[in-house]
Amino acid sequence: MSKKPLTRRDFLKIATVGGGALAASKMFRPVEASEAVEGEHQWAMVIDQSKCTGCGYCTLACRAHNDVSPDISWNQVVQVENLNGHPVFLARPCMHCAHAPCVEVCPVQASQYREDGIVMMDYDRCIGCRYCEVACPYGARSFNWEAFTGPNPAVPEWGEPEVPRRPRGVVEKCTFCFQRIDRGLALGLTPGVDIEATPACVVICPTKARIFGDLNDPESNVSQALRSQVSYRLREDLGTAPRVYYLFAKLEES
Amino acid sequence: MKSFFLLKQRLSPWQVWIGILVFFVLSGLIAGVFVLWKGLSITNLSDFVPWGLWITIDLSSIALSAGAFSLCAVAYLLGLKRFEPVARTATFIGLIGYTMALLALLLDIGRPDRFWHALVYWNHHSLLWEVTMCVCLYLVVLILETMPLFSRLEWVQNRWPRLAQKMATVHHYAPYLAVAGLCLSMLHQSSLGAVYGVLKARPVWYRPGISVLFIISAVAGGMALTALASMISARLTSRARVNDSLVEQVSAIVGWILVAYLYFRFWDALALGYTYQPGRSEGLRILTNGALSFNFWVGEIFLGALIPIFLLLNRRTRSMPLFRMIALALVVGGVVAYRWDTNMSGLLVVLYSLPGEPVIGYANYFPSFVEFVSAAGIVAYGVLAFSLGVRYLRVVEHPVDESEVIYQTLPEPAAAD
Repeated sequence: MSKKPLTRRDFLKIATVGGGALAASKMFRPVEASEAVEGEHQWAMVIDQSKCTGCGYCTLACRAHNDVSPDISWNQVVQVENLNGHPVFLARPCMHCAHAPCVEVCPVQASQYREDGIVMMDYDRCIGCRYCEVACPYGARSFNWEAFTGPNPAVPEWGEPEVPRRPRGVVEKCTFCFQRIDRGLALGLTPGVDIEATPACVVICPTKARIFGDLNDPESNVSQALRSQVSYRLREDLGTAPRVYYLFAKLEES
Repeated sequence: MKSFFLLKQRLSPWQVWIGILVFFVLSGLIAGVFVLWKGLSITNLSDFVPWGLWITIDLSSIALSAGAFSLCAVAYLLGLKRFEPVARTATFIGLIGYTMALLALLLDIGRPDRFWHALVYWNHHSLLWEVTMCVCLYLVVLILETMPLFSRLEWVQNRWPRLAQKMATVHHYAPYLAVAGLCLSMLHQSSLGAVYGVLKARPVWYRPGISVLFIISAVAGGMALTALASMISARLTSRARVNDSLVEQVSAIVGWILVAYLYFRFWDALALGYTYQPGRSEGLRILTNGALSFNFWVGEIFLGALIPIFLLLNRRTRSMPLFRMIALALVVGGVVAYRWDTNMSGLLVVLYSLPGEPVIGYANYFPSFVEFVSAAGIVAYGVLAFSLGVRYLRVVEHPVDESEVIYQTLPEPAAAD
């Protein structure tokens, strides 16, 4: 092979291949956001159906604190049965599953696990394909069919917005009020104990039907409640391992 | 009115045809702009039925493009050279079909400005990600495969003779491209079914059979559309020539694939009723006895499979062009009906995740006017592109004498330097 000066064509070839390889190495770097990593805290919620009166305050507080459109409920409350003439309600936030179908199916990793167990949406990454919505067994996800403009009717009566509004064309859902948890932890507060660090729906509940706390802490109120009482989770047969637990409505108390 | 008839007299049928298609494309374009501007709230989609007509168009156009990979595999990998001209038509249809699918998706996603996110932020757990990657890569393969066709454009040959020569030489890599196309298509044609099949939240979809049915029906539908489009073109214009025995052979293959499809479909549907699972039996009932039952029994099974099987496997009816064309058209319609039914059967059943007894609700969906107009625009774009291809690229040109070499009119590839 004779030595030839580098022609422009050769240079372009090398540059293209090199650049391509560089770009490829960037693209192929392992990203495992759809594998849950267990961190220091594992947040969970316990909802006591024997205490829930179906007042719907949680839905309204949630709308205000998370600036949710009136067309959307991150936290629905529905009547599920009648126990001796007393209605029984089911409040349904996002279950924050440990094996979340929405995280598995998202083509762009816009739904991700946080280390503390919260299933989080990246609204800047979501392309709005709605596959997560179709995949969620709990109907916890809502699509922004329209832009939410104008005043939020739940503000200021039920609280002040703490997070930016989501744009039109993305899917949104309950976040366990991650903004309150993160800010509270930074201030040295304990989520579930200090109200500033606790999800808005838990704080507002007039009958204290909701408990929030850390499953990793055996002394937290959720750990204690789950130890002392029989609980269930929604559609456990699917293996999604939700982080929202329910305590049964009891006959004598209702 | 009088002037209209005068106009009609002056216009050739070709001009009228193109005029009609351009009208639909333009109205689709206006509807599309409207959708991008106003957002998806002007559709009849909802949080219960988030996927509708556009997803059906998307699934169907990908399925009906499957002739490209399967006929290329027949021609270049099985070495049945006589199928090369049919494979060429199929490849062109494939290119159109995949661009149609991308157009439909662009309308359907909430943030079309972020369509490229799937290429950058990979979630390899997601079947939709896998499908997106395969579709994009396969589109590249299809562009390469159709390059020799585009090199025949006189305009390209005059303006950039060297480029035209280079484009024509891509044909030498056809076997490699056929392998790539086969791998990519086997992946995404079936995983499009698995996109539905993996969702345990929707019991009527949650089964392995959908993937198999998707790819088999896609091959049948894709080959059928290729044969049908070739036959129609040859009847309408002198610029398309078909070798009738070749088309007849393809049609017979379609008939046999349909038999396999119907067999699998039968067991798949039967197995759905084996156990009662909340949501699954309801989905099956919607399909066989409810809102989708006409579509299912008449569109999919009777007209979409049984009649074409009879017409295509019976030598007498198959040899008659009219019956053959009817049968092929029915196959295409059957595939579209199957895609619509698959999507709808899972979405129309709403399974409330309440404790205790399963509570089942039913949703409704009928596409809005804007959805129809934009979907018609996408389909018209496909027909328009194919019509132009027939006229200017000669995509339907079968050598009447089988020994004729297909690319003999092209310049020889430049000697390796």
